[in-house]
Amino acid sequence: MKDPYLPEKASIEKIRSETVDTKTYTVRLLDERKRTEFSVEPGQFIMVSLFGIGEAPFSLSSSPNSDGAFDTTIRAVGNITSALDRLQEGAIIGVRGPYGRGWPVESARGKDVLIIAGGIGLPPLRPVITKIAEERSEYGRLEILYGARTPDQMIFPDEYDDWMKIKETRLELTVDSAPPGTGWQHNVGVVTTLFDKMKTTPENSLVMTCGPEIMMRFVVRGLLAKKFAPDQICVSLERRMKCGIAQCGHCQIGPKYVCKDGPVFKLSEIQGLPDLAL
Amino acid sequence: MKNDLKSWIGRLVDVYTVYGPRPRGNNFSFERILSPDEISLDYSKTILPLKKFLGPPSEAILRFEGGGVRPLPEEGGARKTLLFGVHCCDASSFTVLDKVFTDEYKDDRYARRRENIVTVVMACSEPEETCFCSSMGTGPSLERGYDVLLTDLEDRYLVESGSPEGDILTKIIPRATTPGPADFQEKKRSIEEALKKFKRRVDTDRLPELFLKNLDHPMWAHIRDIDLACGQCVLVCPTCYCSDIRDTSELTHASGERVREWDCCVLLEFAEVAMGGNFRRDRGARIRQFMGHNLSYGIEQFGRFKCVGCGRCIQACPVHIDITEVASKVRGG
Repeated sequence: MKDPYLPEKASIEKIRSETVDTKTYTVRLLDERKRTEFSVEPGQFIMVSLFGIGEAPFSLSSSPNSDGAFDTTIRAVGNITSALDRLQEGAIIGVRGPYGRGWPVESARGKDVLIIAGGIGLPPLRPVITKIAEERSEYGRLEILYGARTPDQMIFPDEYDDWMKIKETRLELTVDSAPPGTGWQHNVGVVTTLFDKMKTTPENSLVMTCGPEIMMRFVVRGLLAKKFAPDQICVSLERRMKCGIAQCGHCQIGPKYVCKDGPVFKLSEIQGLPDLAL
Repeated sequence: MKNDLKSWIGRLVDVYTVYGPRPRGNNFSFERILSPDEISLDYSKTILPLKKFLGPPSEAILRFEGGGVRPLPEEGGARKTLLFGVHCCDASSFTVLDKVFTDEYKDDRYARRRENIVTVVMACSEPEETCFCSSMGTGPSLERGYDVLLTDLEDRYLVESGSPEGDILTKIIPRATTPGPADFQEKKRSIEEALKKFKRRVDTDRLPELFLKNLDHPMWAHIRDIDLACGQCVLVCPTCYCSDIRDTSELTHASGERVREWDCCVLLEFAEVAMGGNFRRDRGARIRQFMGHNLSYGIEQFGRFKCVGCGRCIQACPVHIDITEVASKVRGG
């Protein structure tokens, strides 16, 4: 059996700038067989290696295309992400995975889907939006609430028009602050200030949220106040996985491993566990 | 007879790389045994548990070179490692570690070492002050989880094989006799005698749930105040397996290694995430993670308690934090 710590080599096919510090990398495994076998659920993550610099977990921001290439959207904030930021198209990196449990896109069939994202929390939800668009009749209404700190921090701005064109879909945007001259025409305030305009109701719906844990804390409170049940709220958690395969112990929350049992959890599965900002 | 044990060990060192308890200062340590006289079977606890035989404190797991990457280390030697005189608690720790490293994803480094290890386990007749294996179902004797089990019957040892490898080992015991009902009767009595000598006990009934219901128990505030976050409890715990993984490289990045090192959940950096976030900045939350993993979370993760009741963390703690007291306090004690 293959060593689970041995990364597969992959090339960065394309790099697209999203914001001043965030880029979307289109990645393709070099090995053809591995590329064909690579299948991923929306919300799963991979371990990305820069040989000699380190390895870190990143969620995928797309499913693999017909060519086997997939996207991961990464903000340069630390050692590994800053080194990634310096790479050019064609660079070779290492990839392991995908790992973990993603969004419940199967059990969401037939239901209204409410997506609430903050900042760099939007990328792991993008494959859900794509899937619903592709299988539109399989799902109920789609509502997306997205917030970022400032207008220039918004990720995937070129895609919002397309999202709004998906049938029975609403998109609401907000920023914490809109400096003068940015021409911002949407809401100003944290993402929960969009809750008044929210159309999704607890009836036959599923919520998927991802963002800073402190944001999700207020999102969860707001949803519970609106009578959403803990088993219809799904959160994607961030912890610093070092191995991705439940062996290094870093991502434990009580008895749960974020890398194996998550990163997506129903709120009902993690309520009452220690060391959660939720 | 007991004297024959030495000649048996003498034969074993010819075939196996034998490690056994040897005195080290005022303590004991599992060290290489080259002659039967070096072994001290009448030992208390070794400073470090046996996890050091399954993965060193620091180890290169990958090598990057010339644009390629390959797993490390290369295959080990063919000679088997025999751990002689292992206590039952330590032998039980292997079942937890096996679950972590060979269940869903098999770590070859661990699996190779594990398959290469043979154990001669010794039932305990004299539990120490800090021992509580009898509460955790991991001692003073074992039903399984050994290649050979020795029980001290005062004038002789009862020798039982627990595996095909154990059958081979026991065949070369000089002047061995087949045990009879009287021997097993005596074994039973010896276990009963040992059970009476335990000074610490843990009531494990509903303990995993009770722990999770008491995350805000006042004891955590007290522990936070006295805890030094030194990490000795984790270092000496036979089932603490957490590791850090980082890369080292030459300045040019032309070659380098990925290194896995023992890590420790009670240290501040352990739960750090991007941009300086930390989900266990609080010292009390960190020691609670160690306690919770041992007394509660293991049941969901591996179907058994992670704690094997060896008492090393109690003995090692410079401020006398006692895992058995934590277990009793979550019960309202």
